[in-house]
Amino acid sequence: MRHIRSLVALAALCVVGAPMAQQAPADEPGWAKGRPKTDTAMKMAPVPAFPVPTPADQLPTKKFKLPPGFKVETWASGVLDARGLRQGPGDNILVSTLFVGNKVYRIPEKGKHEAKVIIDKMEMAAGIEYYKGSLFVATNTKIYRWDNVDGKLDNLGEGKVIYDKLPGGGDHSWKYLRVHKDRLYYEVGGPCNICDPGEWAKIYSIKLDGSDMQVYASGVRNTVGFDFDPKDGTLWFTDNGRDWFSEELPNDELNHVTQPGKQHFGFPYCHQGNIPDPEFGWGKDCKDFTPPAALLGPHAGSLGLKFYTGKMFPAKYHGAMFIAKHGPWNRTQKYNGVFVAWPDGKGGAKVEPFMTGFVEDNKYLGRPADFLVMKDGSLLVSDDHAGAIYRISYGGK
Amino acid sequence: MITPVRSIESATAASERVARFQRRLASGTAALASVLLACAASAQQPKSARPASSAAPRAAAASAAAPNPYPQRFASLCAACHGANGRSEMPGTPALAGQHSFYAVTQLFLFREGRRSNEAMTAVAKQLNDADLRGFSDFIGTLPPVPAPAPAAPPDAARMKKGAELAQQHKCVFCHGADLAGGQQVPRIAGQREDYLQASLQGFKSGKRPGYTMAMVGAVSEVTPEELDILAYYAARFPGAPAAAPAASK
Repeated sequence: MRHIRSLVALAALCVVGAPMAQQAPADEPGWAKGRPKTDTAMKMAPVPAFPVPTPADQLPTKKFKLPPGFKVETWASGVLDARGLRQGPGDNILVSTLFVGNKVYRIPEKGKHEAKVIIDKMEMAAGIEYYKGSLFVATNTKIYRWDNVDGKLDNLGEGKVIYDKLPGGGDHSWKYLRVHKDRLYYEVGGPCNICDPGEWAKIYSIKLDGSDMQVYASGVRNTVGFDFDPKDGTLWFTDNGRDWFSEELPNDELNHVTQPGKQHFGFPYCHQGNIPDPEFGWGKDCKDFTPPAALLGPHAGSLGLKFYTGKMFPAKYHGAMFIAKHGPWNRTQKYNGVFVAWPDGKGGAKVEPFMTGFVEDNKYLGRPADFLVMKDGSLLVSDDHAGAIYRISYGGK
Repeated sequence: MITPVRSIESATAASERVARFQRRLASGTAALASVLLACAASAQQPKSARPASSAAPRAAAASAAAPNPYPQRFASLCAACHGANGRSEMPGTPALAGQHSFYAVTQLFLFREGRRSNEAMTAVAKQLNDADLRGFSDFIGTLPPVPAPAPAAPPDAARMKKGAELAQQHKCVFCHGADLAGGQQVPRIAGQREDYLQASLQGFKSGKRPGYTMAMVGAVSEVTPEELDILAYYAARFPGAPAAAPAASK
């Protein structure tokens, strides 16, 4: 880990550079903006998912630690770059990918759980959602929609482009999607580690035909996970904090949208609710921005977020949200895991580790990315590093 | 395990790609490709004379449980072009010595997926399963850097100076490091073959060689072709490279 250096070609991973093509002559990659010129820092950079899935018998599944009564098993292996998870039609789980895969898979819930590619050669096909017979897939430039896909996942044909005004580029440009009350929610992250993001760094929503774009939340550096609380319909989202500030600061944020369209969560002016940015924080006051509901750790790479809507887990977990910490690249000591958070009813949230054991000798054996609550109430966790999906179930004490 | 069903790529984009490929075949790259193809073919012959499409390598990997089969497989499959010690003497063929296993596995993956265009390497990579990709890459990662053969003439001082300036100005060192040795998924470019560096940089410039993203394409977009050649000249003769290399110069 100490000798990490990045490839510009892969720089986009966690935090990436401004579209370099537009910036003469050769600007530094966006993820490197703000990097101190020390030897250690100069050897740190984002790392992509490994291009070969970990063989099933070498997955870290047996090393995972969970609360008593829970067990975890390998649900699917050999799923290169497994990233976003959504329930599809006909007992299929849909799986998206990011830089490495360029694919969308379906995995039948019955049988051997073998991934079958249903979309191929689509760059940054990370955003995925299925709703009332329609499949939505978002790249960094476009949002596609396929209608009446039930029973036709293997022959999707051309998708209809319902939205093509996404800015593209490498930096924080990939998508995470949710449908809520007949609107599709997506984010456009800040095009840099730290910069004036202009009109970006926001969560937006559109109607399911791509019309009527509205801003839902502002000052969002890069959210790669959000979900609506089934109790009150409010949105909770993870937000990745800036890099190169220090090893321990700032924290990623867990945020709560209580006034749609009106709140600003701080980027690029204020981090984790109380740290003015050394460059962009001048003349700004952290009090003017919505503070996080909880802190998620420095450079944690907080990705997928999902409210637990099943019945299998104990009552304590009903109404809780699961959060995937992918793990830092911009920190010497690695850590990650599946975490669980409970809204405290007072604007905050309590966060606890739920499944750990993905890190050995300061190296990632796996990196959790997203979740899906299965019909039986068990929880699927995707791992883009190992190319696997794990299933967590509760068997009692 | 994973069966591609369809491509979202539009017919237009696909036909453009074919047209590009045909143009490339008609251009100088064709010479390189055919050299590599010939070389891949010859690489099959020395010991085992197995055809390129044979499943034999996979079977060999499976049967050789105890010793690591990849040094031998490298010798029979890769060495004819890339050199027994990973220092290629073949025009246009990159030195693998000193390359990082993460970079190697990424490139093998891109060749196998058809996302990095090179007929010879794609033909080779298509025979490899996931374990092979790891095995070859891990072995490549153990090969120490080997300095370039001593040049006939000392490097052109003005060109080297310009190259050093360009490497700073265009932020090459931001990812490849001050010693141009790379790391993880970033290739070592210090001491790499100049012709290969030239072709790679021009490939990025023309957009014909994307990585996972177009970021390297973006990185060179503002660099003139002449400057790219100077960078290739400089990196190939990088002053730090021979000193850092443990192996003796030939």
